[in-house]
Amino acid sequence: MSVSAPAVVRGDGTTTASRVRSRWRRSRGPLLILGLLVIGALLALLPTPRTSNRALAPDNPGATGGRAVAQILQHQGVQVQQVTTRAAAIEAATSGSTLLVIGDANLTQDDVAALAASAADLVLVDLDWSTDQFIPGVQPGWGTSTPSTRTASCAESDASAAGTITARRWLWVDPATAARTCFPDPSDPTSATVAVLDGTRDVTVLADGYPLRNDALVEAGNAAFALRVLGHHDHLVWFVPTAGAPAPAGGLSMWDLMPPWVLAATLQLAVVGLAAAFWRGRRLGPVVSEQLPVVVPSAETTRGRARLYRRSRAYGRAAAALRAGTALRFGARLGLPRSATGPDLADAVARATGRPVEQVSALLYGPPPTNDQGLVNLAHELDRLESEGHRS
Amino acid sequence: MAITRRAVGLMALGVVPALLFPVPLTVLAWSLLVLAACALDAALAASPRQVAVQRDVPGSVRVHQPATSVLTLTHTGPRRLRAVVRDAWPPSALITGERTAVPLLGVLTPRSRVDLAPGEGVRVRTAVRASRRGDLVAPFVAIRTVGPLGLAGRQARVPLVGRLRVLPEFASRRHLPSRLARLRELDGRAAVQVRASGTEFDSLREYVDGDDVRSIDWRATARRGDVVVRTWRPERDRRVMVVLDTGRTSAVRVLDAPRIEASIEAALLLSALAGRAGDRVELLAYDRRVRTRVAGASGAGLMAAMAEALAGVEPTLVETDWPGAAAQVRQRLSQRALVVLLTAVDPAVAEAGLLDVVARLSERHQVVVASVADPELAELRVGRDDAGAVFDAAAAEREGLEHAAVAMRLRRRGVEVVEALPADLAPRLADTYLALKAAGRL
Repeated sequence: MSVSAPAVVRGDGTTTASRVRSRWRRSRGPLLILGLLVIGALLALLPTPRTSNRALAPDNPGATGGRAVAQILQHQGVQVQQVTTRAAAIEAATSGSTLLVIGDANLTQDDVAALAASAADLVLVDLDWSTDQFIPGVQPGWGTSTPSTRTASCAESDASAAGTITARRWLWVDPATAARTCFPDPSDPTSATVAVLDGTRDVTVLADGYPLRNDALVEAGNAAFALRVLGHHDHLVWFVPTAGAPAPAGGLSMWDLMPPWVLAATLQLAVVGLAAAFWRGRRLGPVVSEQLPVVVPSAETTRGRARLYRRSRAYGRAAAALRAGTALRFGARLGLPRSATGPDLADAVARATGRPVEQVSALLYGPPPTNDQGLVNLAHELDRLESEGHRS
Repeated sequence: MAITRRAVGLMALGVVPALLFPVPLTVLAWSLLVLAACALDAALAASPRQVAVQRDVPGSVRVHQPATSVLTLTHTGPRRLRAVVRDAWPPSALITGERTAVPLLGVLTPRSRVDLAPGEGVRVRTAVRASRRGDLVAPFVAIRTVGPLGLAGRQARVPLVGRLRVLPEFASRRHLPSRLARLRELDGRAAVQVRASGTEFDSLREYVDGDDVRSIDWRATARRGDVVVRTWRPERDRRVMVVLDTGRTSAVRVLDAPRIEASIEAALLLSALAGRAGDRVELLAYDRRVRTRVAGASGAGLMAAMAEALAGVEPTLVETDWPGAAAQVRQRLSQRALVVLLTAVDPAVAEAGLLDVVARLSERHQVVVASVADPELAELRVGRDDAGAVFDAAAAEREGLEHAAVAMRLRRRGVEVVEALPADLAPRLADTYLALKAAGRL
């Protein structure tokens, strides 16, 4: 054993510059990925012209959308403001503006009452249940799946200017109503497509929104009618009610309900958590690996052979092995020579155990079992035979 | 760069200003303050790269024998050095008692705190205890310095490689005294006074009742006028060749340790015994090539050479080339010798060459095949739980039968077959050696 003077090592052979270089080399990949992610996120946040697919929404460019009307109105100098909540609609719809309401399926009774009290001119489209709360005596009627062309037949200026429009649904009008009705079904005097109630502000009920749709605007006088009805004022509030619970007034968040120090303390604790992670995460040098010996389970070849027997249903081979083992042990115990024949052994075993020779012979040299149960039974029988041999 | 517990505590202290001025800006300001303090502290800390490190380890230790690795640190930098030092031995070598278990944080490997003024030096000791044979390697020394504020510091890994040779445990040496006593008995025993082959004349002594009359030396009796008998002693200077199989079967785990460990124990005990008995012992570890070899060592140097040679022997997952091994044996042995093959009597292996090779060897030499038995086979053999267990039992039974057949064929050729559980193999092999020696069959 040679004992040489142990080597002295100082430092790790790096300089500040080389460490900076290697750190830069190691971190530039992740930094690049991080940068790309940040740029992507910023791009996603850029104000892009958003579109929706809600029916008759002013930002829906599809067939059932209302973007065509909205854009034409904007080009004509009308300011179109899209709102989705009642609060915003009431706030925006001041006197001297038009409030367009698309459907009442997502409105509550309160909403309807609030809208009816609005000072703005109202244009109501696709109402299902609240029509008579805006114009008493008018009810939504039946409809057809295909649009029909209707003639104005009234003195209303917007309607007569348009001449004809196409629509699918009807309004049912009580003859006693104060409203003027237009575009009736010639065969049914109680029907109409448009009902207008004048007052301090106009209320117009349109049986359905079909004439405003992007794909139907070119039909008949739809465009003229739509632009005239919606273009009375410079300001159009386009209210598309949304489903779901409206946010409570004021938009309270979780933090508004707690004292202000909770937010600050939580932030501080999060920072402490980060620091603790860095404290514990930085290890004093890398993990030293162990040189472990290779693991070869014992008896794996034996188990493999057993599985082969089982898969090929080799009951004969398995039984032969069990019988040979028993025979060998009996032979050794009873002092038989290795050259002893089967009958000799059966005789000797029968004498040692006190069983009939035929039984012993069948057990040791009988036909092989043909199923799992037979094999298990044979194994147990052989065990019993051996234990009887022990007692003698 | 690394921060300390104190830095985390300082950060936690930021809760107080956050409660007094509950706006997010307070948190940001405090965090930046702590960050700046940590950066300053790290900048002011002594450089861990200005420490000269030297490691002193014993040349070799036995398995489970504690040793101490001594690091000598000399501070060559200009600032006071406060640091934590880790001597990076593998976790299994670090003594459990010295590990520190920290609640919630797990177990820390041992590390030492040092505090050095410029130019000072200190020794740092780490207790190690190997649990496996082979080379224990500590690839580096890690040093983390802490700045004057105790908030943060710098860290470096000094590539100082430490190597500790771990020799076999030789746990079977506890059997050595009893076997040596038997050997001494053998030396002067009356029974060997019967002239047998392979014994040599020792001395004359007076006749006592019970001595074999055939051993009376009549010529000396006539000269002395007293009945004198000749005594004999076992022959000395016989050659013993231990061949250790390092092939596939030696890797098999028997009772949670590879088979080769038991074989090595047996080889060591046999060598110690044969060395004391005056025989010349050689060792060969072989699978498809020579893994290690001990030849020409004797006396006190024998066991040291054996331990050193066997320290680095590892099982390889290849089939052993028995004809090649036999060629190596023949090359070394010119006269009759005891050849001990430490392997597994695996029927498949035996068919693949072991039987022929052993037959050829046993024509000239006394061959002993020593094999580690697998207790799991016996367990499998009595399984009766279900059909699967019975199939296992049948396979084990078949294996046992083939095994017995191979052993029988070996014995018929005059080969001694020793099979024992791992703990018993070494004493059983030693007993076989003594029996062969007593019978003069070496």
